[in-house]
Formats: sequence, C-alpha cells, structure tokens
Amino acid sequence: MKAKLGILVLVLALAAAPLGLKNYGVYLLTLWCVYVMAGMGLNLTVGYAGQMSIGHAAFLGIGAYTAAILIKAGASFWLVTPLAALNCFVVGLVIGFPALRVQHHYLAFATLGFNMLVYLFFRNEEWLTGGTFGISGIQRPAFFGFSLDAPLPFFYFTLLSTILLAAVLWWIIRSPWGRAFAALRDNPIRAESLGVNIMAYTLLAFAIGAAFAGIAGAYFAALVQFIEPGPFHLVTSLMMLLMVIVGGSGRFFGPMLGAAIVILLPEWLRVLKDWYLVMFGLAVVAMMIWLPGGLLSIPERLRFSK
Amino acid sequence: MDGVSFSVAPGEIVGVIGPNGSGKTTLFNSILGQIKPTSGRMRFMGEDITGMSPLALSRRGVGRTFQTLQVFGSLSLRDNLIVAAQEFVRGMPSRLFAAPDAGLGAQADAMIALFGLERVAHLPAGSLSYGQQKLADIAMAFMPRPRLVLLDEPCAGVNPGLVDGLRELLLRLNKTQGGSFVVIEHNMDFIMRLCPRVICMVEGKVLAEGAPEAVRSNPAVLEAYLGN
Repeated sequence: MKAKLGILVLVLALAAAPLGLKNYGVYLLTLWCVYVMAGMGLNLTVGYAGQMSIGHAAFLGIGAYTAAILIKAGASFWLVTPLAALNCFVVGLVIGFPALRVQHHYLAFATLGFNMLVYLFFRNEEWLTGGTFGISGIQRPAFFGFSLDAPLPFFYFTLLSTILLAAVLWWIIRSPWGRAFAALRDNPIRAESLGVNIMAYTLLAFAIGAAFAGIAGAYFAALVQFIEPGPFHLVTSLMMLLMVIVGGSGRFFGPMLGAAIVILLPEWLRVLKDWYLVMFGLAVVAMMIWLPGGLLSIPERLRFSK
Repeated sequence: MDGVSFSVAPGEIVGVIGPNGSGKTTLFNSILGQIKPTSGRMRFMGEDITGMSPLALSRRGVGRTFQTLQVFGSLSLRDNLIVAAQEFVRGMPSRLFAAPDAGLGAQADAMIALFGLERVAHLPAGSLSYGQQKLADIAMAFMPRPRLVLLDEPCAGVNPGLVDGLRELLLRLNKTQGGSFVVIEHNMDFIMRLCPRVICMVEGKVLAEGAPEAVRSNPAVLEAYLGN
C-alpha cells in the first residue's frame, strides 16, 4: 500500500513537473523520459541479467533511424514504434550471442565494437541515413486527431509511454522470467544445472533490453525531429551505463534516478559556470567510490550500519 | 578416471568415498557433461547421456549439488527454491504470464519447513550462514523432484550436530520422492549410515565396492584412504 502510494505521488509529481517551465525545461524532462525508457532496458540486460553492455546507444540509434526513415516515408508513428522495437529485438538477439561465449570486459569490448560499427554505418551509409547531414523534419504523432506537436502534449505522451513501459518491465521482473534472469546473473552454472536455459535467457536479456532502447529511439527521433549519428556514439552508451549504475543497477527505479542525475544535474550545476562539468565529474567519481551500489542502495546501507 | 563402472538402481542410495584427488568430483562432472570423457559411456534410464549438457540432463531428471556453495545470493531463500523448479513448469513463453511463484509457493514452503529454514525464508540467500546456505543448496536440488541426485559433500561445513538431521532428511526425501542418490562424502559415519552400498575410489579407479562395513574393513581401502 505504501509503495503504491509512493508511486502515485511520483507520477503526480512528474505530471506537475513541467508546469511553469519554459520549452527547454520541458524538452529536458521529455529527454529524461526517453533515457529512462532506454535505461530500463539496459537495467534489464546489465542489472537484472548480469550481462555487460556498452553498446546500448547503438540500439537507441537503430530505433531512432528506423522510426525516422519510416516516418519520412509516410508511415505512422504508431506503426514505426513497434517496428523499431522489433528491429532492435532481432539485432539484440544477434548481439547476445557473444555473451554466450565471453563475459565481463571481453563482452564489454564486443558490445563496444558493435556500437562503433553501427555508428559508422549511420555516418557512412548516406543513401539510407543521410550520413552526417542526418534526417530532418521528423513529424511528431497525433493521438486521435489531437496533435502532440507542442512540447507539453508531447511530454505527457512520452511520460505516459514511459509509465506503460515501466509496467511492462515490472511484469517481466516479477514473473518467473525475472527470477531466471537473477539466477543467470548470480550463478549461471548452478542455474543451468537447475534447468534454466541460460542461452535463451541471455539472448532474451539482450533482445528485450534492445527493444526498450528501440522504442526510446523512436521517441527520441520524434522529440528532436532531426537525427544524425552524433547522439548514438559510444559516449552515449557510457552515459546510459552511468545512469543505470548511479541510480542502482538491478533496482527498478535505478535508471529513473540515474537518468535524472545524468541529464538534469549538469543543468542544475550550470550556476557554477565553467566548473559545472568538473563538479559533475567529481560527484560521479565520489559516488562510484562511496556508493558502488548506486543512490538507491543508501537506505540499505543505512539499515546495515545501524 | 580409468575403468570406473557402476550402476545405480531406482531409489538406491550409493556412497562414493576416497581421498582428495581420487576422481570423485570428476566422476560427477563427467556424468553431468561438464567434462567430456575420452572414452566410455554413461546411460540414464536406458538413454545414452554421454556428453549431454547439464541443461539437457536436468530436463531428464538429473540434479546435483556442488562441493562449494552455489545458491543465488541476491534472491531470497524461498525464491532460490522456486527458481530451482520453475523451469520445469509449462513452456518458457507461458512462464512470462504465470503467477510470480510459478505455482510453486506451497511446494517451496513445504521444503523450507522440511529443512527447518522458516525463520530465514525471506532473507537473501547470500546473507545466510554457511550451514543454512548448504541446507538451502541441498533443498534446491530436490525441488524439481529429480530421479537421480548427485550430492557432492553435503556434510561439508555443516555443524556436526546437524549431520544426523541431514541424514534423516535425505532418507525421508528418498522415501517420499523416490529418486536415486549418489553421495560423495568424507564423513564416514554419515555415509556408512546413509548408504547401503559404497564405492571407494583411489587415483581415478574403483578400489572397492559393496556394503559399507565390507568396504570399511577392506584392507586396500584402509591402506589407501581410511588408515588403521
């Protein structure tokens, strides 16, 4: 009951958050929603299933380009979003295969290589992606004739979609699949001896995580209305991994808090002028040293320290 | 291993003893497909299972425990027991839409009660004491009601006062579930009172096989393993 009330308060607070903000503030909140969607997927792959990935921005990019190309060709946002998810799900399945052979930093480098490959594809295959010129004029959707083009309606639409996607993730992790993902993360050898199909669950962890990023990509394309390869570089993958770790890897609300820190904190620190990125960097380093379990591990740590 | 050959009847409990490095765990790892034998075959219920993956074997009803603790540390003890059996409930896609406990809650609770772990059922398994984790580890192996269970040193690290209770538990599970057990153990009293048949391995070979007292008094076993 307490948890439900807390979630209701959080949703109401988010709904009230853009009121009184200028367009840039609403844009940042919508961008936060987009990264929460992608971060939830990465949290499933990294936090719940224990796989390493520093190529998640590639899936965000595949989703964004799938949506942008198809919207420009006249397809509806409502059709292209599931297609972006499906596209990423399939690519995610393929990218899961290295995880069946290698783990930890080897897997990190395999996913890093994948990110670079996808980035180069976006940059060089001009006939499809527009190369460095990108794709512009991406239309935002309408909902039963109601235009979502203005920043505020598009924010509420993205927020609602984020909540729905969070509900899907909640469903997955509280189902027997969620327990199997945790078993895979904690002890794959024991898991296999108990009938857990570690190959299937490893591939699914990557594929579902990628599908979440694909959906986020479609919303990103509609948000910025112009995409080019830059936002899908390795740096974004590292930033998304940072969101998951800073918030609390393997904790449901981890990516939400992490995305808020990574997206919004630099903006709030702008009062420090030239020093804001330095302070942000120091805050991240301090957090990694004293809070390796992420910000959401604080209550647990306090409980144990008593 | 060299020339190791034995069979286990349905419902039988067989003990495997021998000094460290005699090949006992290698025997388990070979049966379970974790080490591929260079020659020889293994059969289970008439089917050749040589080189089969642990996953395929678990689907056929072969379970095991490991020498070292192998629980899922972040999951609660109850969830450890549920995950130990959930993959045998319906197909994988339908499990996504199944109840969170996959319909195994009552079975897990019964197993928790049998092992006397009610007080810690909802704690993360990784936070439990060594002995509690060991009991959880054994309980997990029995959750899917396997037809053959390979138990690798179940008494290791268990409080001596609990060893008798563990033996009683295994005998009760053998009676209620009806599976066959192969048990590796260094605790001679435990194994002699649990297993009607014992195999002694030394340097990868079977040195003696038979009733516990016969193996215990075998001069070759005394010399190579038990001492005088």
